[in-house]
Amino acid sequence: MADATRGEFLSLTTVGLGAMIGGVIGVPATAYLLAPVTKEATFEPVFLGKLDAFTAESGFKPTAATYVEDPLQPATSSGLAFVHYTGKKNTDWHAEDAMFVVFSNRCMHLGCPIAATSLGFACPCHGGQYDTNGARTAGPPIRSLDRFQWEIRNDSELWITQRWSTDIYGGEVHYYPVKMPGQPTHTPGPSWIPNVLYPHVTYTYGTIPGPVPLPKA
Amino acid sequence: MPIPAPDPKQMALQTEDWIEYRSGFPTLVRKFLFRKVPPTGWMHTLGSSLLTVFILQATTGMLLAMTYDPSPNGAYQSIRYITDVQTLGWLLRGMHKWGASMMVILLFLHMGRVFFYGAYKYPRELTWLTGSLIFILTMMMGLTGYLLVWDERAYWASVVAVNINGTAPVLGPFISKFLLAGPVFGAQTISRFYALHMLMIPGAIIALIFVHMWLVVKLGVTPWPSRPLPEPEPQLAPTAHAPRMRETVAGE
Repeated sequence: MADATRGEFLSLTTVGLGAMIGGVIGVPATAYLLAPVTKEATFEPVFLGKLDAFTAESGFKPTAATYVEDPLQPATSSGLAFVHYTGKKNTDWHAEDAMFVVFSNRCMHLGCPIAATSLGFACPCHGGQYDTNGARTAGPPIRSLDRFQWEIRNDSELWITQRWSTDIYGGEVHYYPVKMPGQPTHTPGPSWIPNVLYPHVTYTYGTIPGPVPLPKA
Repeated sequence: MPIPAPDPKQMALQTEDWIEYRSGFPTLVRKFLFRKVPPTGWMHTLGSSLLTVFILQATTGMLLAMTYDPSPNGAYQSIRYITDVQTLGWLLRGMHKWGASMMVILLFLHMGRVFFYGAYKYPRELTWLTGSLIFILTMMMGLTGYLLVWDERAYWASVVAVNINGTAPVLGPFISKFLLAGPVFGAQTISRFYALHMLMIPGAIIALIFVHMWLVVKLGVTPWPSRPLPEPEPQLAPTAHAPRMRETVAGE
């Protein structure tokens, strides 16, 4: 620097100052813009309805139940769950003979709302089809429907307390932390592959429940 | 001695001179508008049509933004207000909506013209690249603007669009979280789309339009592609094996 002329020194100083000002503005701006990328959602337990609203079902006619997670934001935090009453008595959601199966209504192709049919579920957007277990039978969806963990509170209220992505294979329902629609929960080979390719950055969880055998037909 | 009546033409010229000496703008405008171009046709009007539609979109968009409320609970109501109550609101909203489709259609035609005329070749590669960036940004305008209507179709179409982004390996979930301003469709999603739609992307498009126009004026318009007339075939010097080949063919 000792050999720099006055002009060289001044242009270096100008570039340096410019970079500094750019950093002072640019770094916080970028961080502000990208902050949502690291945000994780938590699922707040939600009241779905009284038990007798769901137990009248016979055959496969799941009851649609709407819920609002955040009462301050009804337009963006509302959802719909399909409650299927199995006719059994076990109130443990994770048991093989559980009383209810609570499906999410989001198609696992690209997240459109599905409709219940006598055969299972169908998506109007791109024709995805699911059977009565929520397993994909036709169309573009990549995995089976998400399910809600549920519990009975105050003896007569059905609450959903957690959301799980599922995949049905080997005659069992396998549970995974929630991934976005269109992303696989598992792929052939080691289990870390889908987690690196499709990080489940959506929800925070404790222990992941083990697989549960499908009901006997 | 009476003062002569001012001549309007003289006054206009004096005003132009006044501006010219202080800014040089009249010369700039003259150089931009009165420049030599090769024989052109209707196909060469697509670019300026695009600029016109962009100005239409910017103008109607600014006016719609005065009434629009980018919040989950107010957006649809404000759209209803613009359409049903406000004077000529239905017209401005309609112009913005149809202008959006027009812009995408004209973009494809303009790009097709440039491609089939070979106008992207040397020395106009940068014109093509800046145009491509404007194309991508216009697609993003379409995506972010679609949600703002905030009816069922807008909502679910945006859910699908964000989830399509989410299916990209590795970066996908981060891109969709970036677009949604969080892990799920939330209260901030619509204001984020709104800021992208009316501030960030248009700002980038305007800057790129200036670069694009500068390049068009500097490099000139590409003429019709044409093949030069075929030159007479050069007479080959006879070689040692040429006659033999001819013999072989003749012998068969």
